[in-house]
Amino acid sequence: MSSRRRVLLKVIILGDSGVGKTSLMNQFVNRKFSNQYKATIGADFLTKEVQIDDRIFTLQIWDTAGQERFQSLGVAFYRGADCCVLVYDVNVMKSFDNLNNWREEFLIQASPSDPENFPFVVLGNKTDVDGGKSRVVSEKKAKAWCASKGNIPYFETSAKEGFNVDAAFECITKNAFKNEPEEEPYLPDTIDVAGGQQQRSTGCEC
Amino acid sequence: MDEEYDVIVLGTGLKECILSGLLSVDGLKVLHMDRNDYYGGESSSLNLTQLWKRFRGSDTPEENLGASREYNVDMIPKFIMANGLLVQTLIHTDVTKYLNFKAVDGSFVYKKGKIYKVPATDVEALKSPLMGLFEKRRARKFFIYVQDYDEKDPKSHEGLDLSKVTAREIISKYGLEDDTIDFIGHALALHNDDDYLDQPAIDFVKRIKLYAESLARFQGGSPYIYPLYGLGELPQAFARLSAVYGGTYMLNKPECKVEFDGSGKAIGVTSAGETAKCKKVVCDPSYLSEKVKKVGKVTRAVCIMSHPIPDTNDAHSVQIILPQKQLGRKSDMYLFCCSYAHNVAPKGKYIAFVSAEAETDNPEEELKPGIELLGPTDEIFYHSYDTYVPTNIQEEDNCFISATYDATTHFESTVVDVLDMYTKITGKTLDLSVDLSAASAAAEN
Repeated sequence: MSSRRRVLLKVIILGDSGVGKTSLMNQFVNRKFSNQYKATIGADFLTKEVQIDDRIFTLQIWDTAGQERFQSLGVAFYRGADCCVLVYDVNVMKSFDNLNNWREEFLIQASPSDPENFPFVVLGNKTDVDGGKSRVVSEKKAKAWCASKGNIPYFETSAKEGFNVDAAFECITKNAFKNEPEEEPYLPDTIDVAGGQQQRSTGCEC
Repeated sequence: MDEEYDVIVLGTGLKECILSGLLSVDGLKVLHMDRNDYYGGESSSLNLTQLWKRFRGSDTPEENLGASREYNVDMIPKFIMANGLLVQTLIHTDVTKYLNFKAVDGSFVYKKGKIYKVPATDVEALKSPLMGLFEKRRARKFFIYVQDYDEKDPKSHEGLDLSKVTAREIISKYGLEDDTIDFIGHALALHNDDDYLDQPAIDFVKRIKLYAESLARFQGGSPYIYPLYGLGELPQAFARLSAVYGGTYMLNKPECKVEFDGSGKAIGVTSAGETAKCKKVVCDPSYLSEKVKKVGKVTRAVCIMSHPIPDTNDAHSVQIILPQKQLGRKSDMYLFCCSYAHNVAPKGKYIAFVSAEAETDNPEEELKPGIELLGPTDEIFYHSYDTYVPTNIQEEDNCFISATYDATTHFESTVVDVLDMYTKITGKTLDLSVDLSAASAAAEN
């Protein structure tokens, strides 16, 4: 089927170290999961094309690359985000409590033009652990927090089992696109530094 | 903290972030700390609130200037040579994927009270009033020689050994006039004084070649490119590279104190009561001030304006070089201007800088020739800083200290310092002609 204009959407994933941000990204983009945890090494941003109805979206999903561990993300990481995904571990209360800090940090650093309506999505991850027995954050509690912050969409996921990951990212894509400006923003004509071979100059400089 | 690292890097200036990125890619375990809660150190880009805090001692900028976050005001304003070492480093590390660049609109040179565009094309060159017709012919012969010069091909040398012949001698051979020499030496070779004339000509020729190659690279109106959102993007981009390869980042770490053992070797860094151990320390001069010496001073004006610099064809981004002979100074003065077109200010606003090696203690008076070229300014801030070089012996104390950024308007000297430090830290020479991401992609197959 034919598709209209392709849209590039920047999505950033925030949350405490160890909640599974990288695993969620890898599960969604690469259908992979690794049990071996180490604070993120080698994760950067990944892109994946998502088709919803007759539109194709290119999601550019940015991991924190571990810089969130000591609150050391720079303003450049946040700039231009179309949607912010907040992730916590349903088995770690502190990671849920810190969602508030992550959301506020995002709003400070990204300074969106319409902070009241900026699209967030919250993921409660690691629902698979111990078959759910070690869960400490109830779904009800999480949904209440999301409702209190402007009805943020909420998904319970397992990066390990792939549960609800696709549904979450479909919602992320839709909300990111809603946030995309209708008219093209002023886009300077940037140059491609990495591409293009060096040209030997002809003639003299003056 | 309380861990062990190969290298601890202090200060997130551009030099330190490039090194952090390179060392992490090499597989070293790197901890990178900064006393500030933002990246960039002395080479950061400040928003309006940060600018006001730093220069006016208050948190409240003027309302009419627009949103604070829309400002990204460089504290070390420099353009990037399109074919220079920094671009090679960006490509080598694939850090370009985090950044967007735009060509700088034009380069101008000040002569006898007026500014003239440095020609970017043959047509501009023919029309330019910088030289008379006969001088243009002589200059053209010189440029053809420079263009054809290949260090490895003796035939292209035309009997001249540029490692012995001085710049003055080669200029004399082509019969160029003083004004032409001034223009070529300062606006193309980008020397900031006239010492080069009595040095071997090889550096002079290489610099002109770099200018020409940079001009041809993206065929903008100048040989320079500049990142959207300002130069503060560069340290953040290299820091991300380091993090992706396992580097640990800790901003907002006050009082980073280097610890030494009984024989004076660095063994770790203490901050907020915790100590991280390491084999080597890399830092900017402010973190080990007892191991550096002052070698000069840079003075600068930072201006917010609501118009382009007059007589620049309404350019959104320009450099203007004021050669030292035109001003009766010892070294050149530089104007650097960028604007909302590079996303460093709100729509309609321009940021201009006037920089020079300080020769007096009065920056307002000293920088006046440059400031007078700007026209009306909405705001103007002055700052000066001493420039330092390290005095320690790295083999003895395992400390590797970068030199302070100079007043030049491009990054060649910056990257030379980085590459030199990299070699001292690792014992290896970096081959910038290798594209790391392409190399690793090949390795995966």
